[in-house]
Amino acid sequence: MAPNRRFCGSPLHAMDRRGFLGAAAAGAAAFAADMTQLNVLQHPALAGELKKQQKRCILLWLAGGASQLETFDPKPGAPTGGPFRAIPTSVPGIHISELMPQMAKRMKHSCIIRSLNTRIGDHGGGAKMMMRGRRDEPNLNYPDLGAVLARELGRPDSQVPDYVSFYFATEGRGSAPGSAGFLGSRYAPMDLYTSMIPENIHRLDGINDLDHKQRGELRDQLSKQFARGRSSSSLGSHTEAYQRVRGLMASEKLFDASQEPPKVRDKYGPTLFGEQVMVARRLIEAGVPFVRVGRAWWDSHGQNFETHQEMVPELDHVMSALIDDLQDRGLLEHTLIITLAEFGRTPRINPSLGRDHFATAWSTTLTGCGIQGGSVYGKTDANGEHVAEGEVGAAELFATIYRALGINHQKNYYVGSRPVPLTEPGTKPIKAVLA
Amino acid sequence: MRILRLLLTLLASGFVPSLSRADNLLPPTLPLEQVVDHYVDARLKEEGITPAPPADDATFLRRVTLDLTGRIPTLDETRTFTASTSSNKRVELVERLMNSPGFVRHQATEFDTMLMNGTRGSVRPYLLTALGENRSWDRIYRDLMLPDESDPKQKPAAELLRQRVRDLDKLTAEVSSIFFGVNVSCARCHDHPLVADWKQDHFFGMKSFFSRTYESRGQLAERETGLVKFKTTKGVERQARLMFLTGKVIETNTLKETPGDKAKKRRKKEKDNSGPPPAPPKFSARAELVKVSLQPSQRAFFARSIVNRVWHRLFGYGLVMPLDQMHSANDPSHPDLLDWLARDVIEHQYDLRRLIRGLVFSRAYARDSRWEKGNAPRPQLFAVARVKPLTPMQLAVSLRLAVTDPQQVAATLKPEEFDKRLQGLESSAGGIARLFDQPGDDFQVGVSEALLFSNGDRIQKDLLTDGGDRLLGRLKQLKNGDEVIDLTVRTIFCRPPRDEERKLLADYLKQRADRPAEALRQMVWALLTSAEFRFNY
Repeated sequence: MAPNRRFCGSPLHAMDRRGFLGAAAAGAAAFAADMTQLNVLQHPALAGELKKQQKRCILLWLAGGASQLETFDPKPGAPTGGPFRAIPTSVPGIHISELMPQMAKRMKHSCIIRSLNTRIGDHGGGAKMMMRGRRDEPNLNYPDLGAVLARELGRPDSQVPDYVSFYFATEGRGSAPGSAGFLGSRYAPMDLYTSMIPENIHRLDGINDLDHKQRGELRDQLSKQFARGRSSSSLGSHTEAYQRVRGLMASEKLFDASQEPPKVRDKYGPTLFGEQVMVARRLIEAGVPFVRVGRAWWDSHGQNFETHQEMVPELDHVMSALIDDLQDRGLLEHTLIITLAEFGRTPRINPSLGRDHFATAWSTTLTGCGIQGGSVYGKTDANGEHVAEGEVGAAELFATIYRALGINHQKNYYVGSRPVPLTEPGTKPIKAVLA
Repeated sequence: MRILRLLLTLLASGFVPSLSRADNLLPPTLPLEQVVDHYVDARLKEEGITPAPPADDATFLRRVTLDLTGRIPTLDETRTFTASTSSNKRVELVERLMNSPGFVRHQATEFDTMLMNGTRGSVRPYLLTALGENRSWDRIYRDLMLPDESDPKQKPAAELLRQRVRDLDKLTAEVSSIFFGVNVSCARCHDHPLVADWKQDHFFGMKSFFSRTYESRGQLAERETGLVKFKTTKGVERQARLMFLTGKVIETNTLKETPGDKAKKRRKKEKDNSGPPPAPPKFSARAELVKVSLQPSQRAFFARSIVNRVWHRLFGYGLVMPLDQMHSANDPSHPDLLDWLARDVIEHQYDLRRLIRGLVFSRAYARDSRWEKGNAPRPQLFAVARVKPLTPMQLAVSLRLAVTDPQQVAATLKPEEFDKRLQGLESSAGGIARLFDQPGDDFQVGVSEALLFSNGDRIQKDLLTDGGDRLLGRLKQLKNGDEVIDLTVRTIFCRPPRDEERKLLADYLKQRADRPAEALRQMVWALLTSAEFRFNY
């Protein structure tokens, strides 16, 4: 394994980590051993430290492929432009679709990349590519963004989950599963498919809380005797997994939207997507490094404009609420918000008034942590059919995301003896996008 | 010519793993286990390391029962074995386990995982027959690569190819990895960056053996001709030949593409699902691969890979690691030992039983897994036994067995009846097994497993009920606290309790004297979820 498996390896970073962990250890002694609440958050010094140190990421996954033309790369007047207008934003010179008036006011926090060319135009292949930034090899499955960030940004002994993924819709779910790849199940997503509360996080009725806790302690003591003189990373992970159980159970409240004041809930609005994004904010605030919220189904082969007229305003509203909320809490500069999909949609409008899959020239946005806000990178041609300037592939996008979060994009993982860099050798992050 | 030159270079570089050092190896007549210990001990001596002492009887019994039959030993098996004073008892134990039907079932599960991991298919039905007859590894390889689908007994073997036939790159890479211990997939897009052995010619040479294979009318079929072309990193288009990993080329005049019109017709015909299955080709590229890879001058890859994989399963670490990186830049930890074992497996017609039996008889296999004095030596020295995570089936069957009333699997049962009960446990374990991950190298237990055990309804209902046929049912009947603890630890941990455990568990039960049923259930839970149960040590 890599000698420094969890952090990026810069000495500065390591110092901060140690400082942080030291504070955590000191803090922990002051708490009851059992975490019936998320104590970390109630310890002001620690919470403050968390805010300062930890970077995190929320991925708004626009499943099925949202149209760049009806969102961040409008082409009003072009034969491919469709019925919607473009409106100016708070940043002079940048225009986005009229379906996004609230984001237009908040443009200074975001960078739009309009020049993605990712080549893969089927849902499964596209989703894999855009969640992992690369193609799997026959004998090597790569971890996705969430798993990498869980490992790089999470704490090994974290009392909260480190990769949470909401995906309630059935459309496209199977083709875009989260995957820890060669990093293994320690970094696999906690998937929420049907319930806002994670599986097996709730104590069963047959056992009271004290017994549940002491039963766990008995287990720990028996295991500790066994571990004497024996060492293996698998054995260590087993101990770690059980040590995290009580903390995760205590984090159940984090998933409970009703814990938020009505004022905040109103801001996100009454939709499921709004509620999930609000819960995502609760999670990252408590130290969860990565949350994906999947919103489906953007696959508008027919009636593209009705679909987007319905769905884009919701995205506009929820994303704006998230930006405001993070900013109010002083978290925006530590949190990267990404909008991404498996691909965009064709400029050509088909006979069913739909747009089809299109991976040749489409858009993504990066907002917050480490990002040059109020900017646009890359350009498509007049009809949006090709990238005209600054072509970006999945690898460069991922390198940029890693750098924005303070992670060395060339860092090696080791699969057996084989070094596997986070992004293909020679990949460069896009400097202009980074703050 | 280029290929020839390549071949010559490879031969000159001494890369083709040959068994040419045979002259210097220990004589082939020595018992396999002695040879293992000779080479492993020699290396330890060189490094100045005294290995861990032998594991005690209870530990050895648990280890070998899990490795050979995929479950923990029963209470009676533990009692009988630890009480036996026979000087030959470990040998007798291994013979008994290997002759039990559970051995074949567990080996079939393990080899099925090795062959089919990452696919949705299984060749286990075929393996049950093949391993039941102790078919040799080369025969199994032939059956899997050239399945005769008209024979109902052989048909399940076709799954290996069928599951991968729609992705020839995957098929090529995985067959190379499974049977030859070589990962050529890095050489698909470019010559291997780190290993001089693997060129694009190797990947596409191997692919050429499979490129004619397709599925038609639900059966595997193969074309008469076919040509794999590829582009080098310099953009030059090349035509691949039928080339094995050693660089050995099969000369043939069937390397051609079907011309345009004909190709269309051919594709249409292949897609047509009516009529009889297509006739087998006169010249089968796949059969050529099987033939060449087993030739005396070429079979080292095949022999070394199976030795390394079986060794890895039993020792928890291969003689070459990773298992699919057997190449000149990655030496085995014990080169002579690997050579000797490869020669042995060839001379004994690829007899898997002989190999397994010999390895578990070695002292190296039977060491303790604790290393008390400082940091444990590197795993490739085999100075101390590895702690191996249980596979999903090992864990699920062992859980089932551990929560069963020991009387249900008592030594007094007839062997047939005992095996019938085991089979019942195995088939009921399948559902739980699916909840666990298959361990790979550097396996990490995920928190979802800990949450499942801690709060899962399934665990509660499947494992922690106290009916009459369950351990908890039996414990309920016992009056004496000491007896309760003794029976629990002996049944679940397969050893007597230690003094500190007695005290720990007695205190736990005493504190819950007002709710004894719950107390017992919680105690059983704590043992089932402990590290000692989760691993083979």
